[in-house]
Amino acid sequence: MTLTQLSEPYLEFAKKAFSREATYRVEVFTSIGSLVLRVYLLRSLWTALYSQNVAPRGIPLHSMITYATVALLMSLVLEVDGTRAIRDKIREGSIATDLMKPINLPLYFFSDGFGQTIFHALTIFPSLLFSLLLVHIDVPAAAALGAFALAFALGYLVNFFLNFLMNAVAFWTLETFAVQLMVRWASDLLSGQILPLAFFPGFLGRVVNDLPFAAIYSTPLRIYIGDLPPSAWAGAFMSQLLWLALFGGLSYVVWRSAARRVVVQGG
Amino acid sequence: MPIIETRNLRKVFRAVKRKPGPLGALQTLFSREYEDRVAVEGINMSLEAGELVGYIGPNGAGKSTTIKMLTGILVPTAGEIVVAGLVPYRERKRNARNIGVVFGQRSQLYWDLPLIESFELLRAIYSVPRDRYKANMAHFTELLEMGEFLNTPVRQLSLGQRMRGDFAAAMLHDPEIIYLDEPTIGLDVVAKEAIRTFVARINAERGTTIILTTHDLADVERLCRRIVLIDEGRLVYDGEIERLKEQYGTHRTLVVELSEARDVAVDGAEVESRTANIVRLRFDRRTISADQLIRRVTERYSVTDVSIEEPELESIIRRIYLEGYAAPPAHAT
Repeated sequence: MTLTQLSEPYLEFAKKAFSREATYRVEVFTSIGSLVLRVYLLRSLWTALYSQNVAPRGIPLHSMITYATVALLMSLVLEVDGTRAIRDKIREGSIATDLMKPINLPLYFFSDGFGQTIFHALTIFPSLLFSLLLVHIDVPAAAALGAFALAFALGYLVNFFLNFLMNAVAFWTLETFAVQLMVRWASDLLSGQILPLAFFPGFLGRVVNDLPFAAIYSTPLRIYIGDLPPSAWAGAFMSQLLWLALFGGLSYVVWRSAARRVVVQGG
Repeated sequence: MPIIETRNLRKVFRAVKRKPGPLGALQTLFSREYEDRVAVEGINMSLEAGELVGYIGPNGAGKSTTIKMLTGILVPTAGEIVVAGLVPYRERKRNARNIGVVFGQRSQLYWDLPLIESFELLRAIYSVPRDRYKANMAHFTELLEMGEFLNTPVRQLSLGQRMRGDFAAAMLHDPEIIYLDEPTIGLDVVAKEAIRTFVARINAERGTTIILTTHDLADVERLCRRIVLIDEGRLVYDGEIERLKEQYGTHRTLVVELSEARDVAVDGAEVESRTANIVRLRFDRRTISADQLIRRVTERYSVTDVSIEEPELESIIRRIYLEGYAAPPAHAT
């Protein structure tokens, strides 16, 4: 089989996921609307907090607002969870029909999620435009922007495998709610999505920076606002790659044993 | 050489034993007592290419489990399976290219998208060459009359339309083998007939091997010459429908319509039921011929109409489930 034949199904999955997302137009508009509102509220919040002197060391207000806004825009992409379909399909039993197709299922979930991501990434632009009317955000130099993009891409993959592992738990438990809640809670707080990790004091701050969650939001965002100097980039990428390799490898192992024990519910 | 072959196929499901009550539920959390449930036990089956076989059994008999093992998504506990030269569970993806599957209860179409997009996706999945895809699409669109709803989102299709879509979806890549799992469930008479005609044509024209699982025995009577009957995971009967009918069909029912409602008693037949002026008489055609019986009835009663009912496959199979299959004595066949 040629490479085109091998990759075609997955391209097609991504395209279908894209069109599927596009069918729900109202959702798109409301999500853009709510995002713009959140950008505005965050700016007000941080401005108020900074006037009370809660600023962490080394992050001025304009950087903080930039951080919060970019984090919000990133969440448009990162909160898309293509692997949630694993859990749903296991519960409905439709994973059986998928397994009867000559496809690589993890790759299918990735493509499907990626298609959704592309769609949501497109909604970033109007959101960004509206946001810029409300708040001013910094734009870093081209090199930092490039480094940010790379870190974001790596964080995206770490996030994918984390979600994959979480949802694959359903192969054993059929239900993943508790795990989801725990990981989601931890990752919201520890990834730097809501709060820069610089807010964590001393020892805790060092631990948090070394956790995998930091690879998802904190690393790209710190590059963006200039909190990580170019000399520290290579190290940051390395640590992201490390987590990526670890989660990727773990996902592979989990999938292998999951696929072997596919016990489909019912029937 | 058979295209599908199973030898001593066995599947045991292991489940955590649950204890009753809230305390029991708590205990279940910590104790790990298992319970084995045998779903399929020693099935030997062999299908030649081009056969269309009805795979019949009551709920929980192990039909779906067998199909899942044949498709490679379930690993047998013991025994062997070879489908088109492959061991399905070892080569799930390669096996998947040889088979098509239709589930009456579960669609494999993309819910939110127009029907045609699901077909395009399947073309990509199976790498169907463009010209082959076009030819198949044209053929199926015509046979299944899908023209008017090709561009309708699947969620808006009626069950009959959706099933037609699912059939086309399962066959786009010209599979050698097709598994049909209750494909006519919930369909109206017209839609059922359309599906049956389609299945018969695919089998006849393309020589596709088909295993049909269904509870609607009319599907089987209409389509299959051979049935495989299983009950509680074991093979009960494997052979021609006609032979089964001959063997079990020693009893007929004479339906008599009398000019007035009254009790009836005739030698050589027993009254099966009576509603108003219609009496159903069951008789053994080895002890009395229909002709004799009719004469006896008309001699004693004033009859306006008679008809004879042959035993249906359904009642035969019901009997086998209840009483078990008794192999015929050697001289009877």
